[in-house]
Amino acid sequence: MQKKICMLGGFAVGKTSLVRRFVQSIFSETYLTTVGVKIDKKSVAFPDKTVDLILWDLAGEDDIGSFRVSYVRGASGLVLVVDGTRAATLAVALTLRERAEAEFGAMPFVLLFNKSDLADRWAISDSEIDELRQLGWQIYLTSALSGEHVDDAFRQLASMVSK
Amino acid sequence: MTSTVDPISLPKRAASNDTEIDREALARLLIEIARNVDPDYRARLDGIPTADPRMETLRQLLVGREISELSRVTHLLDEPEQLAAAVGGVLSSAAARASHAQLGEALAPVVERAVQRSIQKSPRTLTDILYPVFLPAIRKSIGEKIDQTFQSLNETLRHIFTWHGLKWRFEAWRTGASFSEVVLRHSLVYRVEHVFLIHRNSGLLIKHVTAENATSEDPQLISSMLSAIQDFVKDSFNEKEQSGLDTIRFGELRLWSEVGPFATLVAVIRGNPPEELHEIIRDVLLRIHDECSQALEQFDGDSSQLAGVETQLQTCVDLKQEESNQGFPWLVLAAVLLVLIPAGGWFFLSWQSGQRWQAYVSRLGIQPGIIVAEQKVHDGQFYITGLRDPLAADPQSLLAGTQVDPARVHSHWQFYQSLDPEFVLKRLAASLVPPDSVRLSIVNDRIVAEGEAPDTWIDRARAAAQQLSAGGPEFDISRVRDVSPEARAAERWQTYVSRLEAQPGIIVAEQKVRDGQFYIAGLRDPLAADPQSLLAGTQVDPARVHSHWQFYQSFEPEFVLKRLTASLTPPKSVRLSIVDDRIVAEGEAPDTWIDRARAAARQLSAGGPEFDISKVRDVSPEARAAEHWQTYVSRLEAQAGIIVAQQTARGGHFYISGLRDPQAADPQVLLSGTGVDPARVHSQWQFYQSLHPKFVVKRLMASLTPPDSVRLSIIKDRIVAQGEAPAAWIDRARVAAQQLSADGLSLELSELRELTPPELTHLREAIQAVNIFFDSGKAVPGPEQLPVLDKLANQLKELATDARKAGVTAQFMLTGHSDETGRETAKLSISAARAETVRALLKKRGVDPELLLVRGAGTFEPAETENSRTGSSANRRVSVTVNFH
Repeated sequence: MQKKICMLGGFAVGKTSLVRRFVQSIFSETYLTTVGVKIDKKSVAFPDKTVDLILWDLAGEDDIGSFRVSYVRGASGLVLVVDGTRAATLAVALTLRERAEAEFGAMPFVLLFNKSDLADRWAISDSEIDELRQLGWQIYLTSALSGEHVDDAFRQLASMVSK
Repeated sequence: MTSTVDPISLPKRAASNDTEIDREALARLLIEIARNVDPDYRARLDGIPTADPRMETLRQLLVGREISELSRVTHLLDEPEQLAAAVGGVLSSAAARASHAQLGEALAPVVERAVQRSIQKSPRTLTDILYPVFLPAIRKSIGEKIDQTFQSLNETLRHIFTWHGLKWRFEAWRTGASFSEVVLRHSLVYRVEHVFLIHRNSGLLIKHVTAENATSEDPQLISSMLSAIQDFVKDSFNEKEQSGLDTIRFGELRLWSEVGPFATLVAVIRGNPPEELHEIIRDVLLRIHDECSQALEQFDGDSSQLAGVETQLQTCVDLKQEESNQGFPWLVLAAVLLVLIPAGGWFFLSWQSGQRWQAYVSRLGIQPGIIVAEQKVHDGQFYITGLRDPLAADPQSLLAGTQVDPARVHSHWQFYQSLDPEFVLKRLAASLVPPDSVRLSIVNDRIVAEGEAPDTWIDRARAAAQQLSAGGPEFDISRVRDVSPEARAAERWQTYVSRLEAQPGIIVAEQKVRDGQFYIAGLRDPLAADPQSLLAGTQVDPARVHSHWQFYQSFEPEFVLKRLTASLTPPKSVRLSIVDDRIVAEGEAPDTWIDRARAAARQLSAGGPEFDISKVRDVSPEARAAEHWQTYVSRLEAQAGIIVAQQTARGGHFYISGLRDPQAADPQVLLSGTGVDPARVHSQWQFYQSLHPKFVVKRLMASLTPPDSVRLSIIKDRIVAQGEAPAAWIDRARVAAQQLSADGLSLELSELRELTPPELTHLREAIQAVNIFFDSGKAVPGPEQLPVLDKLANQLKELATDARKAGVTAQFMLTGHSDETGRETAKLSISAARAETVRALLKKRGVDPELLLVRGAGTFEPAETENSRTGSSANRRVSVTVNFH
């Protein structure tokens, strides 16, 4: 089973790094700058099935206005990526999600606070993250460097979209 | 002969398979023969009996059956009919068993001959036989050939001038193949390598089918990327929703996509596919949508429901056209084209030039004054003959712009005179040269001349009209007026005379024209228009006009009115007008004027128009008084610092109340010259302080008594003090400025320079701190104030002396103040009275009265705000200010 997943997040939050090490990819990163999107695949195996997440890595923009919402069409889920060392990227990710959902309706998502390895520059308070968890959101503190929780996040999303 | 072999046992041994031989009988026969063998018999071998019945028996015994069989076969072979029957029975199976190659070899000449014979004998039979076989085959073959030809012709034309074209030409030359063949080989070779069926909404791969030996990267990723690129193109160039990106080309590789409602089919083709492939791909996509539309619509990433589409996709992948060397008469085709293209070109060009010629001929045909009699086209040359009016358009010049080659046009024109009114008009215009004042035009096929012309021209025109040939248009000159210069001058004179006659107040008695001079005599009212000035614009030469006018008084109402207006000078309230030849005066006037008007009316009566003054009302003294009053009120209202609140006139008396600034003009004074009786005016004015800068300045001048070296001026609603002043004065001015700022006014002191002899300052301040207080309603200070007055007198004297020593003059302003009790006028007067009293008391104590100035400030400069009884007593005082000059 395949599912289309869109990776959303502000500029330089580490989306591309997240997928670089943990997914199958045949396209180079220059696609992001040329076409504005890069497709990767992450296969998640469950006992009864295998879910192929087709990941659309959309070019990160701080200018939300230039976000090509049409790329989200047909997506089953979202991966929202926030740079834990820049608090403003949380607002960017949430705004991108709002725009995507405004256009195509609500869909499952996981929220990744990336760069968890940079503890000394961490800019998001635990209470803030707890608050978001209270909303029932699936939140992971990830590190593209160590790979911490990345697989967990994709596995969680795969199970959410394949129900 | 000796032998170890038993001769009997030999035949008995059944070694061979001739079981049918009677071995018993043969053995017995051999034994008998052997018994009879005589050893000498061999010696008499020559006596062999010619016939031995035993031999016959032996033969019978040995080959009896073969003999009978042989005779049967021989009989069979000898009888053709039986042989044919026998061979016929086995022929088909014999042919089937025979070696095909050999049989074909053996039969070919026979069959050929047989067919040949058959065709020679009756070709129709064979045609009939083969017809159903050949026709579809031929039809199919031709159809395919034509299709292929046109496809490849497209490709050929597309490549003929390109780099490929050159390369292929070289290849054709190198391999000895025709160019077309090479083009075909390169252009129509293709293979569909992959087919992707992609879910349109999500870009997810539904199915991917690949041709043998074709490889690709992960098809799931490719299909998503393909739809991302579709989105990218759509977003980037604002493409419409429905149309997909249908071709991507990269070298030898092409991606063709067909977009359906739910899925997109992308074919990856290597080589040069024909356009028809689009159709095929579209059909496949349609079929898939037909069969699985629901599954496609509900596709959620699980393609197991759509397994059936694979076979459909497979049909696409099987499509290919391998390289082939199949020959086709390209040279013939090229040759045919070589002939056809120039021929077509020639036909087109000649058709085009024919069209242009016809356009030219029809253009000539509609030209007035040109009649085309005959025209033809022969051997690419154009011949035309006809008639043309010399005034008609030049056929040669019409040729320009038609793109007909003038060198190929042979024209033969004969001149004729067209009777078309247009041409007749042109000819007339050329021969008669009409003056500018005459206009020739065509009205209902007649030529009409209008305007003015000298009689000589009219005569020539008339002659021309008579000469106009019968059948031509009529030339109408009846509307041309004869205007010889004299006639014109006379006409203008008459215009002037009638203009004069129409003038009121002018009577023309006599006029005549003689020898180019004009004489006129008559009467004119002095008020009538000047005949000389009326001359302007008539074009009559004033030098040739001799007028003789006598003045008279016109009785025309208009003139009478003018005269009355001049002599009576009616007031503005009277309007004179003419009603039915009567002069009517309306309005109001003083009785004196009415008397004068009445006298004038009486003088008029003889012969002149009536002067009706009955509608003039006599303005009564009361009305006049009221009028005067209003003049006074409006004069007051125009005064700055005076606000009229209410005013009425009742019973011959006038009442007015309002506010006035003490510094404003005195209303009483303003009364003079208005004609209002002061005894009948009852005014009630309350004082107020006008905030108009002009009044503020006046008040400041009075209260601050600025030294001569200070100038107060008003600059844009601000009051600016300039010059030099003693420090104490500047201090006081500063206090005043603060008070003013509370009223929203500004007094600027920044431009003041301090001028105070420093040794005087102390004493001056002591003096200015002094106040003489009074009891309520009293203008004389109580006895307790006398010591204060004594001390003050001494101080003043001392300061005056000191000031004189310092070279300045000290002046003392005594300002009287009152509290808020009592009437407004009383307050002002008691304040002034208090100041006067203090001046007298100081004078008595030896202060130079010249140095003492007095003013009353009323309640306007209170020492403190009055909110209690004590405040009131503090304000009943006389204060002193010192100025140095």
